[in-house]
Amino acid sequence: MKKLSVLFLIVMVSLVSFAVKLTFWTAPNAFQEEFWKTVVTQWNKLRPDIQIEVQTIPAAGSSEEAILSAIAAGNAPDFSENIFSGFAAQLAEIGAIYAFDNFGADFQKLIETRKMKSIMESWKIKGRYYVFPIYSNPMIFWWRGDILKNLGYKEPPRTYSEIYEVSKKFADGKKNFTMQVISGRNWWDRWFDFITYYYAATGGKPYIDVEKRKVNFGDEAGKAITQFIYTMFQNKWTAVELGTNPFYNGTILAKITGPWEVNWAKETFPKVVPNIWFSAPPVPDNYPKDKPIYTFADTKGLVIYSTCKDKKAAFEFISWVFSNVQNDVLWIEKTQMPPAREDLTTNPAFAKFMNDKFFKAYASFVPYAVPPALIDKTIDLQQAMTTHLIEPLMYLKGKPEDILSKAVKEINKILF
Amino acid sequence: MRSKFGRRERLFGYSIVFPYLAYTAVFWGYPFIWMVILAFTKWNYFSKPRFFGIQNFMRIFTDSTVLRIALNTLNFLAYLIPMVLTASLLFALALTKVRFGKTFIMLSFLVANVSSGVAYSLLFSNLFAVNGPINRLLDRLFGITIPWFSNPQLAVFSICLIITWKFIGYYGLILYAGLLSIPSSLFEAAQLDGANRSQIFWKITLPLLNPSLITVTVLAVMLTFGIFTEPYLITGGGPMQRTTTFLIYMYDTAFKRIDPSYATTVAIVTALTSYVIVMLIRKFFEKEVSFV
Repeated sequence: MKKLSVLFLIVMVSLVSFAVKLTFWTAPNAFQEEFWKTVVTQWNKLRPDIQIEVQTIPAAGSSEEAILSAIAAGNAPDFSENIFSGFAAQLAEIGAIYAFDNFGADFQKLIETRKMKSIMESWKIKGRYYVFPIYSNPMIFWWRGDILKNLGYKEPPRTYSEIYEVSKKFADGKKNFTMQVISGRNWWDRWFDFITYYYAATGGKPYIDVEKRKVNFGDEAGKAITQFIYTMFQNKWTAVELGTNPFYNGTILAKITGPWEVNWAKETFPKVVPNIWFSAPPVPDNYPKDKPIYTFADTKGLVIYSTCKDKKAAFEFISWVFSNVQNDVLWIEKTQMPPAREDLTTNPAFAKFMNDKFFKAYASFVPYAVPPALIDKTIDLQQAMTTHLIEPLMYLKGKPEDILSKAVKEINKILF
Repeated sequence: MRSKFGRRERLFGYSIVFPYLAYTAVFWGYPFIWMVILAFTKWNYFSKPRFFGIQNFMRIFTDSTVLRIALNTLNFLAYLIPMVLTASLLFALALTKVRFGKTFIMLSFLVANVSSGVAYSLLFSNLFAVNGPINRLLDRLFGITIPWFSNPQLAVFSICLIITWKFIGYYGLILYAGLLSIPSSLFEAAQLDGANRSQIFWKITLPLLNPSLITVTVLAVMLTFGIFTEPYLITGGGPMQRTTTFLIYMYDTAFKRIDPSYATTVAIVTALTSYVIVMLIRKFFEKEVSFV
């Protein structure tokens, strides 16, 4: 018995000594870190031959900057999460990430097990799969139900005209504003305003024709959206800077947000949270009442870098995590974010979450949430949208139609 | 030829110089060589740099954003130099009149200089928000609200205001030291000759303060070319790109557009431009001062 124990110990020690050691970077978000630390601890116990070390993406202006700096310095991790589609397209373009197709049937099996076949289609970069999507956050509007009730409403407004009506009753252009129409001036903010409105107004039509590298939003829907944004600013029913927490202190009635805010809101503003109503993004007045309203999906995924020491080992770990539905259950418990799966509303494993009004609201939008265009020029084109479209509308610099057509021209130049 | 120093002395000498040489090689030499390589190549962080000749430099001349940023920088200079000089000079002059608690006042103003750019940028963006405390006060008193960061020109002004607040203490102390170095006998002689306060200030104090004023101006010019945190966090380079600075452009180009080569070229051109402006200021405004 003693000999057997010694032998076992020797085997374990040699396994650990010769183990593949992989570094995995997670999003700088306490809830996500907690999830990854839990699953990695389990894995490391189970597989002494492939040891994973979890590290948070280093502090920097953005995750993209930290990852690029690491690639430049030759210190890139073996694999990491928190990768948005546009950044993945850039990384794929420079050959910094490894395509999952290379794992052949094993990868196809994982897609089937995790029920993400059609989700994967929207992540194809030049015909290949470089990203493994982890979560898909539909963007929805939160409304102050208590204030709307006092104004005589039983449900949030749906169309642009209905929002104008509410605005006339509530907004005064100084202390009270209807809603946060524009999410900010950073390039990524366009996902949460114009692009969301465009998906809503068109039933999820892509805002960029990726193959022809041309702008799609210069159409009637684009015109209606620009008119809506312009009207809200012209009448001072919204403003550029609204101060800290305007939604929670009652300065605005509505804001767009993702499920990442749920836990924080519950902890910080417990009195406001029970009064929150949910709605889809606003739509033009002629949008059919029986048609579902689409929205933007803030989706992030996982990539394996080309410099990874043992790509097969990294894939084994990824496969182990995402083949087990209980890990997606744990993900929801920790982060409140809907995993990128197509069976969220039908799989009994997720049934218990449907009692939570926030999760239910977000999960119900998952089928209508569209990811961003997979294009390597995401940052440039969205920065140009800010400069040539959103800012002129915010500052009322010209007629909405002229602003839109100029913006389309400028952005087409970038895409060409 | 035999060295006049023995082996031990030479070794001692080298050991003293070595840390400095090593430091310079690592933190100056290596980045400098890498900078030159980057400027003449095309690199995407991943593959090997590809020789690109002077194309990065040529691109700057056709880049409309660089022109916009050059105009923005002139705009910042036009506000910042007078604001920072006047405010620091007033602070320095006020310090000469203070009798008690001078150290405490100096330290209080220096706190702004050492505080985190991120923290005060967030603080100011909330203070100046359309429904922030400043606008609420203005609305209550005068019935107006000011679009501090929404109007392109006001945004530049507001950022300069924040930077001036940050640097009053630091620049003020430089000017205060300059004021103290002027011999009091000169003021006494002027007073005896019947000069009034205004004449003393314009004819004696200001000309004799020239070296300190030039120092502050040069520092402010270099500061202007290095503005980043405030517009990056408060205005995001807007409205209408009016607060986009060279540093924001370099950062975006290097880390968002994955083009570190062009970002380096912009950095080189920015450094050369600021150097030329500093030299021009020194040539036209610097005066030799002697107290004899």
